[in-house]
Amino acid sequence: MAAKEDFVFNVEKVQSFEKDILRMICPPIRDVLKRIPLTELMTTEEIRLRANKPLMIQNDAGSFFVNSDGRLTTNRINLFYVSQEQIAKTLELISENSIYAFQDEIRNGFLTIRGGHRVGIVGRVVLNGDTVKNIKDVSGLNIRISREVAGCSSKVLKYIVTNEKHVYNTLIVSPPQCGKTTLLRDITRAISDGIDEMGFKGLKVGVIDERSEIAACYKGVPQNRVGTRTDVLDACPKQIGMVMMLRAMSPDVIVTDEIGNQGDKDALIQVFNAGVKVISTAHGYNISELKSRKEVLSLIEEKMFERYIVLSARKGPGTVEEIIDGTDMSILYKGE
Amino acid sequence: MLLKIVGSLIVLISSSLLGYMYSRRCSKRPSELRALQGYLQIFENEISFMSNVLKDAFSKIYMYDDSGVAAFFKGTVDALESDAGISAGEAWAKAVKENIKNTALNSEDEEIIISFGKMLGSSDVDGQIKNIRLTINQLKLQEQKAEELRAKNEAMYRNLGILGGLAIIIILF
Repeated sequence: MAAKEDFVFNVEKVQSFEKDILRMICPPIRDVLKRIPLTELMTTEEIRLRANKPLMIQNDAGSFFVNSDGRLTTNRINLFYVSQEQIAKTLELISENSIYAFQDEIRNGFLTIRGGHRVGIVGRVVLNGDTVKNIKDVSGLNIRISREVAGCSSKVLKYIVTNEKHVYNTLIVSPPQCGKTTLLRDITRAISDGIDEMGFKGLKVGVIDERSEIAACYKGVPQNRVGTRTDVLDACPKQIGMVMMLRAMSPDVIVTDEIGNQGDKDALIQVFNAGVKVISTAHGYNISELKSRKEVLSLIEEKMFERYIVLSARKGPGTVEEIIDGTDMSILYKGE
Repeated sequence: MLLKIVGSLIVLISSSLLGYMYSRRCSKRPSELRALQGYLQIFENEISFMSNVLKDAFSKIYMYDDSGVAAFFKGTVDALESDAGISAGEAWAKAVKENIKNTALNSEDEEIIISFGKMLGSSDVDGQIKNIRLTINQLKLQEQKAEELRAKNEAMYRNLGILGGLAIIIILF
């Protein structure tokens, strides 16, 4: 069981959880979820729906089944089973009865709902030549709850800020579920608003939010706090977006999530050449593993990033393992 | 004598008004069918160019005008908002059935309009657009038929009203 801590959740947070997440889930499952004690419900990281399998919840203490009384448990008695129709209904609610508006996202296997929460989809894929056209007969959904952790970047900021006007090109490296995007978002907010303790004034930040996770825009307006000097290009592909942002909004820093695809490098070079700094993230366990990815290796070898921040979930999501100087690969900080 | 004249005047006026009302109804149906086609066209733009979700697109449509056929769109949004378990098609059918009595549309029109809801929201943009075009084409045919009917009946009802009134007056005088 999750540790029963005396968290006091503010009403606003509970309300937005209800509005953004619970309302998107079909009524029978929603009723069960509502029976889960609030302290446990609010620390949920993932809600997993699989056809004809028990409803599961993942939090920092591990993954649990949910039984019909809304208790998190690891034994298999009296569990709540999810049916495929319930999953289909949930998907209908998530897409607000408008599958057509989300078809590109469904093709990629996930869609982002209001609040920046990501919903992963699996099922039977319909192909059109080599590309995925649709996912039908959806058999599983994974609702990943994104969380704003204000101030989580305070420890790393001093390593990425040079003086009151500049930041380093930074790459955050971490496996999934370790708080990459959360850290990136807080860094964005800090750089954009300025950091009083360090005499850092605040820079113009352009966020290319391909998956609508950083700023969590709803109808184009950021729902998360990403800073006063921040412009957000929502749902735009990174490569096109970086160039657009560069030309249109004269940013000092460009922030984007999960680089490492073919073609990202060219766009990055264009940004670097314009003298604009980049802060981004990449999937990987550490630097040496990251090097095994061809596209990222050339970025590392050409010393394009000046700082690498490696995260893990060793002591909970967002544990900073090490911070590395990208120019000479020396270790600036090592978590014990 | 005066009483007779006043009475026959009242009969004449009311019967002509009755005829006028019927002829108005004949011309109302084609104009409503035309308006509906226009709204569907707006809906097509909303989803193909703006990629708006159903509720937003529909709200935009009834923002212009919420009388007559636009009530279908408002009713759908209301139904979707109040009942989480309802699908878009069901909400549309419900809204049409509730509001069609306030319009001049007939049961044939109703069938076409309800069948538009069957695919509503549940396919990709191409599918949606095909569905919209199909419905618009069908409505256009209905509009032509309604227009022919109107041309035939509009004048007839009006004349019938006036002449009927005169006939009553002659019989009773």
